[in-house]
Amino acid sequence: MSDYFKTDWAAMTANDWAGLILTVVVFVLMVVAYFQVFRPKNRESLESRKHIPFEEDQLEDIGDNDGGK
Amino acid sequence: MEATADRLAEQKYSFDVVRWFTIMAVVYLVVGAAVGVYIASELAWPFLNFDSPYLSFGRLRPVHTNAVIFAFGGCTLMATAFYTVQRTCGVRLWSEKLAWFTFWGWNAIIVLAVITLPLGITQSKEYAELEWPIDILIAVVWLAFTINFIMTIANRKTSHIYVSNWFFLGMMVMIVYLHVVNSLAIPVGLFKSYSLFSGVQDAMIQWWWGHNAVGFYLTAGFLGIMYYFVPKQANRPVYSYRLSVIHFWALMFGYVWLGAHHLQYTALPDWTGSLGAAVSIAMIIPSWGGAVNGMMTLSGAWDKLRTDYVLRFLIIALAFYAMSTFEGPVMSLKTVNALSHYTDWTIGHVHSGALGWVAGISIGAIYHLMTRLWHTEMWSESLVNVHFWTATIGTVIYVVAMWVSGIMQGLMWRAYDEYGTLAYTFVESVAAMHPYYAMRAVGGGIFLLGAIIMLFNILMTVRKSSAEGSLREARGPLAPAAA
Repeated sequence: MSDYFKTDWAAMTANDWAGLILTVVVFVLMVVAYFQVFRPKNRESLESRKHIPFEEDQLEDIGDNDGGK
Repeated sequence: MEATADRLAEQKYSFDVVRWFTIMAVVYLVVGAAVGVYIASELAWPFLNFDSPYLSFGRLRPVHTNAVIFAFGGCTLMATAFYTVQRTCGVRLWSEKLAWFTFWGWNAIIVLAVITLPLGITQSKEYAELEWPIDILIAVVWLAFTINFIMTIANRKTSHIYVSNWFFLGMMVMIVYLHVVNSLAIPVGLFKSYSLFSGVQDAMIQWWWGHNAVGFYLTAGFLGIMYYFVPKQANRPVYSYRLSVIHFWALMFGYVWLGAHHLQYTALPDWTGSLGAAVSIAMIIPSWGGAVNGMMTLSGAWDKLRTDYVLRFLIIALAFYAMSTFEGPVMSLKTVNALSHYTDWTIGHVHSGALGWVAGISIGAIYHLMTRLWHTEMWSESLVNVHFWTATIGTVIYVVAMWVSGIMQGLMWRAYDEYGTLAYTFVESVAAMHPYYAMRAVGGGIFLLGAIIMLFNILMTVRKSSAEGSLREARGPLAPAAA
């Protein structure tokens, strides 16, 4: 098993290091995303956004931005 | 209330381009499915080649894939993205001119594909066959689509960007990146170029594109459709917004790793294929989370499925989404891949995703759009019902035929006799496929029949709207109470 996970660090190229660092960063960001989304404190603010497709009438009344035209 | 909102929206937003994309999507569905049924029939009855190179399977197959993926799928994505971004952001499209440029540019690309592919002008890269001048045009038109979408979001009146827009945006950004890198080539003439990459690197870049065309174009984009149209059609908010956020980020982070699983047992380093398979398995979690999220939107209102045929399309599409996002990772595992790769099992898997998920969710969204954009009911609800059953039964027949055929093919190819020699010749395996190829053509034919019924029904609905004057009325001044 230890042979399987053995890494020749000296043979790592710049590309290898870039890929390794990017991979670790992406996985850490994923963990952060899970933590933030499932944190009970954020539940109400996130779930309130599910109503956006049904709030069109209110959007109509805000005023006519008309795409900045 | 809903009708009033639609009428207000008609006056406020740019829907003409959405209407044209919607109609063209259904036209291309019929064309793409018809070519598919023809080439499926060629495999069952090869005389249909008529000894013409222009009608041969090798040349018509990319016409079929380009027609259904980029013509039908592209027009559906552009119609729904332009529609939902306006309605969820509360503003008109940033540029109507750019939207019309996108419409005409995209259709010009489709015409160029229909001309060049039967002539044999191809880069021979799956789902990226078109030659370099058309590739440049695709990049320009797709960027116009993307910039218009981003700028519309930038002008929004809401503080939050609704999740369907996140999925559309993720698709747009990633497709620019994937398309440009995979299409890098050295032109040696107007109709001929050679890939910038070679050998196994070329294969890896191709399947990095190939799987992400599935992951970002055919999955993320159509999930954008799902997260708007399922709640709207069910008239209930999505089951869990938090789950949709995780679904989005997990998909964005995960999908880019999967391409290597298309190259198991090749010159690609072994660990790369293992990594692709491992992340594929991990992707079951967000995919099923998303499918359950869509289906559970109906929680407490399942009875709507009894009467709402449009909702049936949307929900059966989610069932196929769940099924194919489980099947795909399983097929990526080396032990299963050793049996399934290069066989019709892959074709069955692709079509359970393409016909069941992509076409199902698109058809549901298009029927929803028809009533909102033409401000009338469908010409025939019964025909929508007939379409639902033809599409579902056709898909099931197709997929089952290919599953049986593919597994049989794989088993025949690797069967040995007691002397250690192959038990079957390749030709014997081809002959054994014939009944399943005929069954596949029948399944595809039933699906095509449904698409033709849909085209007829939507054209009659447009005519009905014209006769009733419902669109003209919706564009006219509002009564004081409605205003």
